[in-house]
Amino acid sequence: MTVGNGKLEIRNLKFLFLVMGCFLVAANAFAADVRMSVEPELISLLDRAVLKIEYLDAKGAAIDIPEVDGIRIEYRGPQTKYQFANGQSSSSVTHTYLITPLKTGDYTIGPVMATFNGGRKTLTTQLRVITPQDDPEAQQISQIMFSTIATDRETPYVHEPFNLELKVYIRDGAQIDGQFGIQGGMPESGLDGELKWTVVDRKREERNGIIFTLYTLRTTAKALTAGTFTFRPEVQLKVVIPRQQRRSWGFDDPFFGDFFGRQETRPIALECNRLDVEVLPVPMEGRPASYTGGVGELDFDVSVGPKQVKAGEPVTLKMRIHGQGNLEKIIPPGITDHHDIKLYDARTVPTQTPNEVRFEQVLIPKSDRIKNIPAISFSYFNTKTTDFRTITRGPFPITVESAPQNAAQVIPPGPSTIQQETKVLGRDIAYLKPHPGTWRMKDDETWYRTTPFRILLALPLAALIVLSICVTWRNVLDNNVALARRQKAPKTARRNIQLAKRALHTKDEAAFHQAMWGALTEYFGHRLNLAPGEITLQTVLARIPGETASIEHLFNAIEQRRYGIRLHEGDPKDEMKALLRECSSLLKQCERMKL
Amino acid sequence: MRCFPVMLLMVLGMAFNADASNDLFAKAQTAYDDGRNAEAIILYENMVSNGVENTEVIYNLANAYFKDGDLPKAVWHYRNAWYDAPRDPDIRANLHFALHAAGAIEPATGLSGRIFSTLSSHEWIVAIIAAYLLLALLLTLSLLLRSMRSPLLKASLIPAVLLLVALAGWRYWGPFGRAPEAVVVTSGTTALYGPVEGSTAHFDVPFAALVQQRGSDPKGWIEIEYDGKTGWVKKSNIALLSP
Repeated sequence: MTVGNGKLEIRNLKFLFLVMGCFLVAANAFAADVRMSVEPELISLLDRAVLKIEYLDAKGAAIDIPEVDGIRIEYRGPQTKYQFANGQSSSSVTHTYLITPLKTGDYTIGPVMATFNGGRKTLTTQLRVITPQDDPEAQQISQIMFSTIATDRETPYVHEPFNLELKVYIRDGAQIDGQFGIQGGMPESGLDGELKWTVVDRKREERNGIIFTLYTLRTTAKALTAGTFTFRPEVQLKVVIPRQQRRSWGFDDPFFGDFFGRQETRPIALECNRLDVEVLPVPMEGRPASYTGGVGELDFDVSVGPKQVKAGEPVTLKMRIHGQGNLEKIIPPGITDHHDIKLYDARTVPTQTPNEVRFEQVLIPKSDRIKNIPAISFSYFNTKTTDFRTITRGPFPITVESAPQNAAQVIPPGPSTIQQETKVLGRDIAYLKPHPGTWRMKDDETWYRTTPFRILLALPLAALIVLSICVTWRNVLDNNVALARRQKAPKTARRNIQLAKRALHTKDEAAFHQAMWGALTEYFGHRLNLAPGEITLQTVLARIPGETASIEHLFNAIEQRRYGIRLHEGDPKDEMKALLRECSSLLKQCERMKL
Repeated sequence: MRCFPVMLLMVLGMAFNADASNDLFAKAQTAYDDGRNAEAIILYENMVSNGVENTEVIYNLANAYFKDGDLPKAVWHYRNAWYDAPRDPDIRANLHFALHAAGAIEPATGLSGRIFSTLSSHEWIVAIIAAYLLLALLLTLSLLLRSMRSPLLKASLIPAVLLLVALAGWRYWGPFGRAPEAVVVTSGTTALYGPVEGSTAHFDVPFAALVQQRGSDPKGWIEIEYDGKTGWVKKSNIALLSP
């Protein structure tokens, strides 16, 4: 290697680094890989496996795994890992899927195409599902546990309550945690409220020679509209699996419960039959005028009190409807308008008794001609007899005495109307907003977003910054006399030079030389921060050694002229001009100097 | 003087627009009062599409949607009105009522959220400008009046603190823009664990529930937060909204 070839050597080295870099990048790209695995590859019907798609030194998205008959595959999320060992860094992104077997068999998962920044790869893996150890006959989950749904009314009417009964069969030996969840499979709309299932029975039952534990869940449903309602509830429960019966494959497995626990639970969704309920509309035919929406098997009672009043005093009509039906949907029945009776709206009265609804209506007999409160009819649709039934109560005899002249009449009890109003307010939204006065349009620019305002907004800040700089500079000059005088020096020199020029113009020699002397002494006095008595040629020369000749000449010449001493004959104006030029030049030179 | 006809036309145009809006607003209110909710919706929507963005119109439109039984749109517009007027008791009450009717819970807000949502984003900006101008004035005076410098500097602490609070308040509304809220518009929406078809169901989101967007996926999935839980739903199942 020679010195003359140095540049060539450096070029060669650069090329070598470039090639090495390319190789490293290429090697990194070749290191990227993707693999798919199932852990464990052999499981029992009651067990579960984890499918992992692992991108090594590459980034890749989760893959939609095609459905495989007999197993259910659910995506659970990604996991990223970074490792640094022996000076080498590596990373991996793992997408995890949970496999739940539904029946025994050998399964091939895939092929699926994985795309990553190192290329594309087709992935396939295998899983074997065998019968559980304690139940060698079961080939499918549905043979171990399943559910059925039935109803007591295949064709109920709208608003008619009907019972749904869900039976959950668990094969003897299989353990569950006793909690049931109904996930989906129910009509999305048309039912009145959410169904609340309660476990009403638990017993053992033999079915096809196999003993099952049977849980019975029951609920009551009510349809708001006519039509076919399909029920196929997906019952979810947790199966308890003793840990020692299955192998464990990792401390960080998130799906199999507590690592140190002695048993694990596994959620399972049970199969269920499909139940179609045909809900019939309440017929229009034969519907009486007094029908107020009641459906079911209902009864109606009415009581009136007090039975002896004075004209103008209130009487309360108490109505009670009870039985099996859509009690909360019934509109209170009312008595027909009567010109001698003032009627108020009926209101619902809270009751603690189940299967009962109570109404109260206040009415005021206006005259003593009233002998009876008219009969009141309640009509409803009887779902057993499938016809409309009308129950009439009354008339109710009542004694109304004439009101004494000028006697104060009782104001009907307030709660009737007040309570109703309060109820309505609590059950409804607040009313509309009034006219806003001015219309705000979308295109209207908000004042603070306009360009002039933004500029205007910047002004105080700019002014503040400028003012701050000025004040700071003023403070610096106040505290640093030398700097302040240094700043003053050129100004005083310029002022004196101007005076000298004016004197030259007026041919006033004395004033000219006085101004020139002032220019020199004041400039150097300020520039060198000298007291007035200290400004001498020697002091100035000692501090500014670079321009000795010029300074000395100017000082001496101007001082001599001030005292009328003239060394050379000639035009004094030319001499003054020369002095002025020389002085200006010197001062400019000194101004540029760093002292 | 040449500009006069143009200005006159602009003024007349504005007057016409205002008259048309007044007319639509009155008609919509009458329709609402008469129970013709669909008609009220069309009239209010007409105003909105013509560029009217008064909170009163948005709120009334939400009311009409609510009365018409369209809970998601009612919740969407109530929330939109709330962004503009967060202290309005009617908007808050009706939004609460609509969410309650939908069986959904209201988004939880912490103490800071409750404090900063007392003013709208617009109001916080006005507060920032006011505090900034006051601070600039006091600082300028403190620089100019040497003798008053100390008390003026002490006084300038008040607008400085106000400015910080207002900036924090303004910033509070920022996340609504960065991670918008959304209303669930499809019944039976279930949030999944991952943005993949067939992913495990995590939780059900009620119809017309108000949710927060936490992330998104290029394949058309949105990560939402509801009742402290996060999950993925399809973008078509929600309607996004932001201040």
